[in-house]
Amino acid sequence: MRMFSVSHKTVFVVDHCPYMTESSRQQIECDMLTKSRAQGVIPLAPVSKSLWTCAVECSMEYCRILYDIYPTRKLVNYIVSDSEFHILNSWRQEDQSVQELMTALAAVGPPNPREDPECCSILHGLVAAVESLCKITEYQHEARTALVDLADRVANRGRIICLTNAKSDTHVRMLEDCVLETIQEQNKLAAGSDRLMPIQQCELVLVHIYPQGDDTLVSDRPKKEISSVLSSEVHSVRAGRHLASKLNVLVQQHFDLASTTITNIPMKEEQHANTSANYDVELLHHRDAHMEFIKSGDLHMAGSTSRDSGLKETVTLKWCTPRTNSVELHYCTGAYRISPVEVNIRGRSMRSRSVLLEQPRKSGSKVISHMLSCHGGEIFLHMLNSTRSTLEDPPSISEGCGGRVTDYRITDFGEFMRENRLTPFADMSLDAAGRPPIERAKAQLERHTRYWPMIISQTTIFNMQAVVPLANLIVKDTMTEDDVLTCQKTVYNLVDMERKNDPLPISTVGSRGKGPKRDEQYRIMWNELETLVKTHVGTSERHQQVLECIIACRSKPPEEEERKKRGRKREDKEDKTEKNGKELEEKMWTQDSDRLKGAMEREKEDQSESEVIKDSPDSPEPFNKKPRLATEEIQPLEKSKGPVSLFSLWTNRITQANSRKHQEFAGRINSVNNKAELYQHLKDENGLDVHENGKATR
Amino acid sequence: MPTVVLMDASLSMTRPVSLEGSEEFQRKNLAVHGLTMLFEHMAMNYRLEFTALVAFSSLWELMVPFTRDYNALQEALSNLEDFDKTCLELALQGVSTIMQQEWGSACPCQLVLVTDGALGIGRGSLRHSLATLKQRGEDKKFPLPFPFPCKLYIMCISNAEELQTTDAMDNLEQLLILSGGEGQIFTMEGPLCLKSVQAMFGKLIEQAYMPFHAVLRCGHLTSDVQVFPRPEPVMIDEEVDPVPKHVLTELEIVGFIEIADIASPPVLSRHLVLPIAVNKEADEVGAGTTDEMEEDTSTNQMAGKSPNFCVLLHGSLKVEGMVALVQLGPDWYGMLYSQADSKKKSNLMMSLFEPGPEPLPWLGKVSQLGPISDAPENPYGEDDSKSPFPVQPKSKRSYAQNVTVWIKASGLQTDVQKILRNARKLPEKTQTFYKELNRLRKAALAFGFWELLKGVAELLERECTLLPDSAHPDAAFQLSHAAQQLKLASTGDSQYAAFEHNITPMLTDFSGGGGGSDRL
Repeated sequence: MRMFSVSHKTVFVVDHCPYMTESSRQQIECDMLTKSRAQGVIPLAPVSKSLWTCAVECSMEYCRILYDIYPTRKLVNYIVSDSEFHILNSWRQEDQSVQELMTALAAVGPPNPREDPECCSILHGLVAAVESLCKITEYQHEARTALVDLADRVANRGRIICLTNAKSDTHVRMLEDCVLETIQEQNKLAAGSDRLMPIQQCELVLVHIYPQGDDTLVSDRPKKEISSVLSSEVHSVRAGRHLASKLNVLVQQHFDLASTTITNIPMKEEQHANTSANYDVELLHHRDAHMEFIKSGDLHMAGSTSRDSGLKETVTLKWCTPRTNSVELHYCTGAYRISPVEVNIRGRSMRSRSVLLEQPRKSGSKVISHMLSCHGGEIFLHMLNSTRSTLEDPPSISEGCGGRVTDYRITDFGEFMRENRLTPFADMSLDAAGRPPIERAKAQLERHTRYWPMIISQTTIFNMQAVVPLANLIVKDTMTEDDVLTCQKTVYNLVDMERKNDPLPISTVGSRGKGPKRDEQYRIMWNELETLVKTHVGTSERHQQVLECIIACRSKPPEEEERKKRGRKREDKEDKTEKNGKELEEKMWTQDSDRLKGAMEREKEDQSESEVIKDSPDSPEPFNKKPRLATEEIQPLEKSKGPVSLFSLWTNRITQANSRKHQEFAGRINSVNNKAELYQHLKDENGLDVHENGKATR
Repeated sequence: MPTVVLMDASLSMTRPVSLEGSEEFQRKNLAVHGLTMLFEHMAMNYRLEFTALVAFSSLWELMVPFTRDYNALQEALSNLEDFDKTCLELALQGVSTIMQQEWGSACPCQLVLVTDGALGIGRGSLRHSLATLKQRGEDKKFPLPFPFPCKLYIMCISNAEELQTTDAMDNLEQLLILSGGEGQIFTMEGPLCLKSVQAMFGKLIEQAYMPFHAVLRCGHLTSDVQVFPRPEPVMIDEEVDPVPKHVLTELEIVGFIEIADIASPPVLSRHLVLPIAVNKEADEVGAGTTDEMEEDTSTNQMAGKSPNFCVLLHGSLKVEGMVALVQLGPDWYGMLYSQADSKKKSNLMMSLFEPGPEPLPWLGKVSQLGPISDAPENPYGEDDSKSPFPVQPKSKRSYAQNVTVWIKASGLQTDVQKILRNARKLPEKTQTFYKELNRLRKAALAFGFWELLKGVAELLERECTLLPDSAHPDAAFQLSHAAQQLKLASTGDSQYAAFEHNITPMLTDFSGGGGGSDRL
């Protein structure tokens, strides 16, 4: 995998001398008369391409395939030569496209047959080609700049493809000598320049084009080292389709390509809708996509056949329907851009996202070896692994560290991941601090995880809908004035809850019996909230304001609490049973009921038992961890009638699950027995405390 | 990366080791001792490695097929019999077959060759094999290099001096180069004894079988992990950047991407990411929990019961159908995802992308990926109905545009027919007619194919004369206008032959009122 191999730079030198206007003598009938109109009409004489037209269209085809498969880093410089040289484009990436070259070629036009043949020569172009190879490309420049002292590691190699009509073998040798001489001269010049690089290796590919029916005056010659810097090969080809297939073979050799024929592609066109008509498409791509076949010597077994182009073979793969599911992650060991051999046949189905390809085997067994996949309008041939995995039968994650823990905040972390999804930004989009997008993504992850308990029983605040607005805002890098207000509102709301003695979703997992007392619960909650906010306090003044608000609003300073808590621990344990019952019952927002309490407790026991057996993280998230904020009106009625029915247990459960999905109405949160008092502020102003009165549980 | 242990069972391995002590050892005993040590280490620390045992002399035999059962390997080793002379070439051929049958031809492998350095004599000896290397046909090629990547570790039950008295060392070095140069030759230092064989296998373990430990990090959430198999150093371009890149021991998550968006990317290798318990004080006690855990639980169970970030991450990746993009080093990334082995078992896996700033064209440059909160609006939409991926390439490929290729005559004929077909349906098809006409004109100009322009102009003129009486009068105007324009272009006159110029329909009295003609 060398970036600056010979194929980094390709110079096309195309002969534009008067003799190139000669006809290729390959005639094309373009007046295909339809039967009905054939009467009495003299058909148009067939047209034939000139040598120039043949050379240009075949070189364009070479470039089309090259640019399809290597949209960057493999560069072409196109030069035409007559009485002087004309450079049609530069090494710059934006000049690298077939359209660009076609525009330039149209401006040049066909050779002028009236030009003086004595002044015209392909040599002008060859000299320009060598000079061009010395010019540094933006990739070479970038690599040299990055390496500083080791800049000489960046090599300068290239290839010259010369399409011409030579006079004789001696003429060919003269051209080779001229290229070699020019290289030596230019290398001397380049040694003393910053923008030029001496050529280390140059491959000269001379293609002699002659009209059909003529005898060639130039003989084929395989690649030969002319000197340490120059090698040369000669191809003598008839114009027309012979030239086209020659350049097709060359582009495959030069860029390590191979061919795959996809068979059984279903027709989508309407006229074929009812038939089972299929068609084939031949694709070119990097030969590594056949790595597995080449290495295993399976190339023939894989249904390869020789193509008419000679030399190269194509591997046949079968189109598999239905298409693959895009949310499946296949083990793919390579993905290679493709180029269809015949661009006129546009496989419509190829635009669909992903199709699996099957390698036909003699034994009749099916092996899915490749996948054709479209990403943003570009088609790639993915190579899939079809051999045994060395990672088979690994220990399940549930058997390892942390595998027995059952109450991971899987859903919450899923939400966290969604918030931390990535999106592409325009090049060089740095923020105020000069950070590229990826660094900002890391910084966001850092902020979002400053306080992030991994399991439900480790946290109270993240189980409370009421805290959500604050928790979402405090992790932000910059907070607005409104954000601060929202946070403050959240805090006031919590104060309100505490005043009303609302139950909190404190976990009782891990402690025997019931959880802590209500005031203890609030202390834990406030402590946790403070911990969360404190981790962000350094971010900005406004973050600080939120902390100040909490400290000002919460009942007791944390230090005092800690001391108390330690002292109280023993005492807490003693009345756990009772308290647990109370908590549950309060969650139900109902009055005392022994039977209900019993039922709920049984349910809870069952649940905790099942938790132990089940595997995390696939087991459902234990419920009952979030505050119950609403209950159906029927519940108090149901409950007073007698034993709790399975139905009411189920209803409770569903209601509870639903309540987690939305933020409760403020009115209902503050309601008592599902009745919210209106115009409370009026009473407050009158100095009446409505909340205490309304509470029936105390 | 599976391991094949290739054990020399030739007679020369039974040579006694000269020792002053009471017990007499054969070289084979030393070899078995060393391998026992290796197997014990693997059973403890590298348990998931598949290992096969092959014994060879003039023939070879697969004693234990690939297994993780190290007791079976150990047992086979202790029951090893002695055979005749050494013939390494055949044995290597055997290893190649065994490997490819089991793992295909792309799976990298480690070959541990244990020998005394007596590499046979005459035909079939390594010396003979190497000497005849270049005189072989396609069917009798030397098995090295293997078709699959291989690290060759040669464990010599002899010391360097002894090997250098013959050409054994040279031959082994040549063998190592032939196999691709990856690996090492180990020799024993000092007298041949249990201690020195231990030291030698200790070095092998150090080099090839040390578990890869790392810290997986997502902001402040971390987990100690073992990555199995060990990620291998990767070379990007041996010329420009000949220093192999190593995966860092801190794996930092940079963000998350949907599975559909990452779209089965090509990867260099896949690895299990296994959370491990590091002997640290368990200080992760949260708000009021785990106060009274049973004290007598073993450390393993303790580890199972204390929350681990890997498990949380795995669970959420699985549920959400997402992957985590993880940074492995400077300009090197990979992805973490949940991989199901069966219906019950699933695991956290890490795949490594090719090093470089843009490993997947459809993601764009990784350094340009940022948090969605920085975007002016959520690129995934409020209801996750869209996605910013795939990133569109800057230019379209040939198959995504209307490229003109006339290499085959049929291509040209089709294009001419298209024009004629539309010509007969003028003025209804005015727009399509000119579109096809201009496409042909452009290609003909670029290819210098002026003859074609003249030809098509003549065809259009003929069509004009063949128009039926019922034809719309506009048709004749458009046809002769188009023909004239093509003729002008075929002169190469820069005024008419400019590539960017398009022939526009002639404005006639009819086209304005347009009874059914498509407007422009």
